[in-house]
Amino acid sequence: MKKKLTLAVLIAASATAAVAGPIEEQIRWRQSAYSFAAWNISKIKSQVVDHPETYNKDSVAAAANAIAAVANSGLGALYGEGTDHGIGWKETRLKPEFFQKKEEVTKVANTFNEASNELAKVAATGDIAAIKTQFGKVGESCKACHDLIRIKDQ
Amino acid sequence: MKVTIHLWDLPHRLFHWLLAASVAAAYATAKVGGEWIDWHGRLGVFILGLLVFRIVWGFIGSTHSRFVTFFPTFSRVKAYVKGQWEGIGHNPLGALSVIGLLLTLGVQVGTGLFANDDIAFQGPLFNFVDKDDSDKLTGWHNSSINVLLGLIALHLVAIVYYRVAKKTNLVKPMLTGKKEIPRVLAEAISAHEATRAGVIRFALSLIISSTVAWGAAGGIAQLPQLTKITNPCCSVSWATAETSQPNQATPAASPQQTAQAPASF
Ligand code: HEC
Ligand code: HEM
Repeated sequence: MKKKLTLAVLIAASATAAVAGPIEEQIRWRQSAYSFAAWNISKIKSQVVDHPETYNKDSVAAAANAIAAVANSGLGALYGEGTDHGIGWKETRLKPEFFQKKEEVTKVANTFNEASNELAKVAATGDIAAIKTQFGKVGESCKACHDLIRIKDQ
Repeated sequence: MKVTIHLWDLPHRLFHWLLAASVAAAYATAKVGGEWIDWHGRLGVFILGLLVFRIVWGFIGSTHSRFVTFFPTFSRVKAYVKGQWEGIGHNPLGALSVIGLLLTLGVQVGTGLFANDDIAFQGPLFNFVDKDDSDKLTGWHNSSINVLLGLIALHLVAIVYYRVAKKTNLVKPMLTGKKEIPRVLAEAISAHEATRAGVIRFALSLIISSTVAWGAAGGIAQLPQLTKITNPCCSVSWATAETSQPNQATPAASPQQTAQAPASF
């Protein structure tokens, strides 16, 4: 019985670890998540803004869905206590003030989620002008969060 | 007795107001981001053109636009501080601020060309450096704006100071090109001998500056040996002209640009 309990506790602990993970892990995951989003952003930018002659509806829709999936994946779980210091793929750029700004962060994060979901919707219609406008809004929402909680290069 | 002289020629004045307007616009578009960041880049390249124009004009423009006329040499600054300087264009302190502004703008534009915002925009020369170096230059870009804002503030304060304390209107000459000065002064510094630059020199400056701006805006990447391949976001690789398509600013070969349906995995 005691053994079973210990096992259960261990499993539970490792399950939590898999969700939130030690500090370095969280940093690495969130850096990966945002980099992946940025790759998809670059695909849309290229096909909708820079070279509209290369526009492919399915490709853009897939990219928009990927961004929305990142946004909806519960990234908040990767901002655990202590993750303002540490090295993921590289030194984290999370501002320590993050932990005092939870309300504002929730706001910009929600804006990002809404903008991304809307982009996925618009991308499915294939209306390039509308995609372009919504794409700009997503970009603004990325920037709003970076301005708030990401350390600027100096 | 006052006489009216020609101080700032038309290209000089156009340069000045276009610069002021486009720096303000570049600042605003950078702060807003989103769709506007592309305009930030375009304005920045335009500003680069303006700066090159000003430098060329500083050598072949009309008298008061030339750097030799107002360059703040040590002796000129010293004379000015002692109150012994006489002249009609930029005084030595003003000249220092002009040169500081031009240099800082040069840094701002120069770093911006290689910068990235980690979202959806890269300067046109981004692919010529590593991402790490681009990040570093982006950092300088972010820092030098503070120096620039400081110098702009100083510039504006000085204009108000001259207006209020010295009863000198510096803005009007920059609008009309003309300035009223005491005849004695005009004779002393023989302002009447000021040379006008003319259309040909203007055209030459225009050609030089637009060529540089065109090159920085990506034209340089069209030079055959420098053709680059853009990989899907952020990584950089070089290729010789044979392996990539010659004469294309942005080779169509990159996965993000070939409009294929999503790969099947
Ligand atoms: C909720 C806030 C937030 C939003 C929204 C957000 N980011 Fe970020 N982003 C961050 C933080 C914080 C970091 C720094 C992560 C670290 O270093 O630990 C970051 C880092 C990055 C990085 C660098 C990753 C690395 O390898 O270090 C990229 C690229 C990026 N974000 C792109 C984007 C894009 C594109 C969007 C919009 C589609 C976006 N971000 C939206 C907060 C956000
Ligand atoms: C004199 C001209 C310029 C001025 C005044 C200027 C000003 C600025 C400012 C104030 C920012 C910071 C915005 C913020 O706070 O988020 C910025 C960012 C940026 N600028 Fe410029 N800039 C100029 C020229 C350029 C040029 C020529 C380019 C490239 C073509 C460029 C590319 C960028 C990029 C990529 C960023 C984003 C950096 C980041 O997100 O950290 N800029 N610029």
